[in-house]
Amino acid sequence: MASRPSATSRRQVKGEYIETDSGNKVSRKASIAGTANITLGGKTVIQSDVILRGDLHRLPSTKPDGTGIPHAPTAISIGRCTVISSGCVLRPPSRLSRGTYSFYPMKIGDNVFIGHHSIVQAASISSHVYIAEHCVLQPFCIVKENVKILSHTVVPANMVIPSNSLVAGRPARVIGEVGEGWGCTPGAPGEGGRGATVAGEWVEGGELRELVRSIK
Amino acid sequence: MAQPFPYTYYACSCTDDTTTSSKGAFTRARFSANENDDEEDQTFDPRSPRANYSLFPLENLLYCAECQTVRCSRCVTEEIACWFCPSCLFEVPSSMVRSEGNRCTRNCYNCPICTSPMTVNPLDTQDRLVVPDAASVPGGPFYLSCPYCAWSSLDIGIKFERASNITGQLARIKNGGKVVPTLKERERERDRKREKDDKRHFEESTQPSSSSPLGSIDEDTQEAPNSEETFSDLTAFYKNQISISNNTNGSMFNPHDINFGSPSSITRLMSLYGRPGAKPAKKDKPQSMREAYGSTEGFFEVSNSSEDELIERIRTLGWSGTTSIEQRSNQPPHNSSARFLDDIRPIPTLLRTKQSKRCRSCRNILVRPDNKVSSTRYKIKLLALNYIPRVTIRALAPPPPVPSTSTLSNATALRPTFDYDHLQPSKPTHFLLTLRNPLFDPLKVTLATPSYTSGRINHKVTIMCPQFDVGANTDVWDEALNAGTGSKLRNPTSSMSGSSDNGGMQVEAGKIWEKGRNWTSVIVEVIPGRKPISLPGSFGSPAYQEEELDEDDDVLEIPVFVRLEYEVEADKEEKVGGSMGQKTKKEDAFWCVLGVGRVVV
Ligand SMILES: [Zn+2]
Ligand SMILES: [Zn+2]
Ligand SMILES: [Zn+2]
Ligand SMILES: [Zn+2]
Repeated sequence: MASRPSATSRRQVKGEYIETDSGNKVSRKASIAGTANITLGGKTVIQSDVILRGDLHRLPSTKPDGTGIPHAPTAISIGRCTVISSGCVLRPPSRLSRGTYSFYPMKIGDNVFIGHHSIVQAASISSHVYIAEHCVLQPFCIVKENVKILSHTVVPANMVIPSNSLVAGRPARVIGEVGEGWGCTPGAPGEGGRGATVAGEWVEGGELRELVRSIK
Repeated sequence: MAQPFPYTYYACSCTDDTTTSSKGAFTRARFSANENDDEEDQTFDPRSPRANYSLFPLENLLYCAECQTVRCSRCVTEEIACWFCPSCLFEVPSSMVRSEGNRCTRNCYNCPICTSPMTVNPLDTQDRLVVPDAASVPGGPFYLSCPYCAWSSLDIGIKFERASNITGQLARIKNGGKVVPTLKERERERDRKREKDDKRHFEESTQPSSSSPLGSIDEDTQEAPNSEETFSDLTAFYKNQISISNNTNGSMFNPHDINFGSPSSITRLMSLYGRPGAKPAKKDKPQSMREAYGSTEGFFEVSNSSEDELIERIRTLGWSGTTSIEQRSNQPPHNSSARFLDDIRPIPTLLRTKQSKRCRSCRNILVRPDNKVSSTRYKIKLLALNYIPRVTIRALAPPPPVPSTSTLSNATALRPTFDYDHLQPSKPTHFLLTLRNPLFDPLKVTLATPSYTSGRINHKVTIMCPQFDVGANTDVWDEALNAGTGSKLRNPTSSMSGSSDNGGMQVEAGKIWEKGRNWTSVIVEVIPGRKPISLPGSFGSPAYQEEELDEDDDVLEIPVFVRLEYEVEADKEEKVGGSMGQKTKKEDAFWCVLGVGRVVV
């Protein structure tokens, strides 16, 4: 189901993006470590100069009975129609637990937009989340559905941002609520011919399928 | 929270914004279209100070089907559906909110310095960075710490024995680690102190010159009780007073003795307040109602010496040792006077609510969320974007595919991008205005805009085709099936138009630019104005000489009046009979403001 960037079919050899079978577009200029530990849900875009640290995963099971984590645990999983803009760094969070330092998986949902040069160490980001540029999401923070994070926000470690929040500040504070129309896509979203699918024309927090399509 | 250009705001008509707040701006405003004089006779002015309060993005507007109008946050009434803690996401029953207040009573605290949510950590040095997870809860003392500014409860000398029920534990610890006595303990303490005071009273009265009668108070001034303690002391005192006066009424004392305010009781009170040579208070018991006195009874006197002490403390601790106004206002109410960083307490997290919304005029429910905290669903949600067309504007030159994509990427850098923040004055610039229809009926649209915008810089705006039709929002799949043939471009060369500013493409007045299933695009020509220059000698008044622009005077915003006409089938059920002609005409109209960009001045 989830294809990995390693299994890419190089259709467009000359383009900036390598497109996978499930429609993920991964920039050739992105630096991705530990591809085996990264899953992309399909139609997801990884732009140039993005750093994905799939190599920072939980160590293979050390339990004597053999149960536990399989040997290629997922470090970063990203859902469908999500856009990771250029210059972002996605790094699974880590902490000391029972005397050992270990990494925890990072989960990103569908239709998530992460603005350029943001640094993400969140434990989870749910669907329909818009993160503007130059944000910092410190380790283990949790962003629930339908959240808008304004630019240059620093979300402190372990913070939980509830649904429908509008967040800004250093440290981040909930400064308001997103409108009820957030993420609602009536009719055919973004449909409207050439060039109509530009930033600002889609419903805020809505589906990013058209945006993904426009990135070439 | 500046919205990047281009943007569209919709005006909610709940406030009549047409009172001429800036007459000068309107003098030049004319309608390019003429047929809506009966609808609205005033131009919406996006620069009026009131406009800020009536303009909203479409996503934030609701729609009342009954009133057939948009509803903004100002013209709905809210009802709280449920309370929850934004940090632990637990729902708090409203009965508990009433009794315990609107703060989380679990383990959720915010940093008093920076407001960041705090975490409970074990003090164990080996596991310093560990966040307790259920499986491996280490023993030993715990503390609250802020992951953002590194403030911790240790800074005010507070540790916890357990990682759970922080609220309960915190209520029992004062800053510095002193244990707050429970109510019972306090009561006992009060009794003990009272006895001591009485004894001292007696001693004082026998040697009158030794100290002031307020000696018993001064003893406790080193530690001012907080308002909660004071309150509990006071209530205890008054309860006590009432019970005493009730019990003794008519029992073993003369009735006239208990007569409040009688001369006898006043003399007794006088003796009570420690007049030298008076009889010890003990002998007079029980007294009638009197006022609280002494720290045990919740009476706290502000003396000059304690004020001086405060000032001295401010002097030594300096700016960095005191709290900011914001920090003080964030403190829980009983500690709102925390002057010094040593007095500050972790802030219990404020609860949040989910609300239902009703139309203010007809009381119909417009929004009703699912009551479960975890759910993001709605039982009822009437959104404006499902009822009124979406108006968008963008430059005719193709914008970058992603807002501010990295310049490092060659592919996108090669593509020319339109700079909305630097529009050239006096240069005719073309924008594409698109109307997207969410309704299942085709629309007849009439647009109107003043030919010159209001404000300090007046821009000339012309809608090339102010009257056009927009298709119905029919089945998506119809369109999807013939998606291969593409949208009906009026001019196939428009695909190349991106390379330059509408180069090669003919902009014709009275013709639409592009049309799709449920959308139509028309061209808007904007000639950005120049900063008004004072002509030497032409205007006598000195006020005209200096034209300093204010912030955002260079923003180009176009108010557009959108009038819709459409036909709705009068009754869907009657349609079965075959009378297809039964249609009623409907009209709708609204103002919106298109934020186009900034003009170079
Ligand atoms: Zn309103
Ligand atoms: Zn809580
Ligand atoms: Zn802090
Ligand atoms: Zn109504």
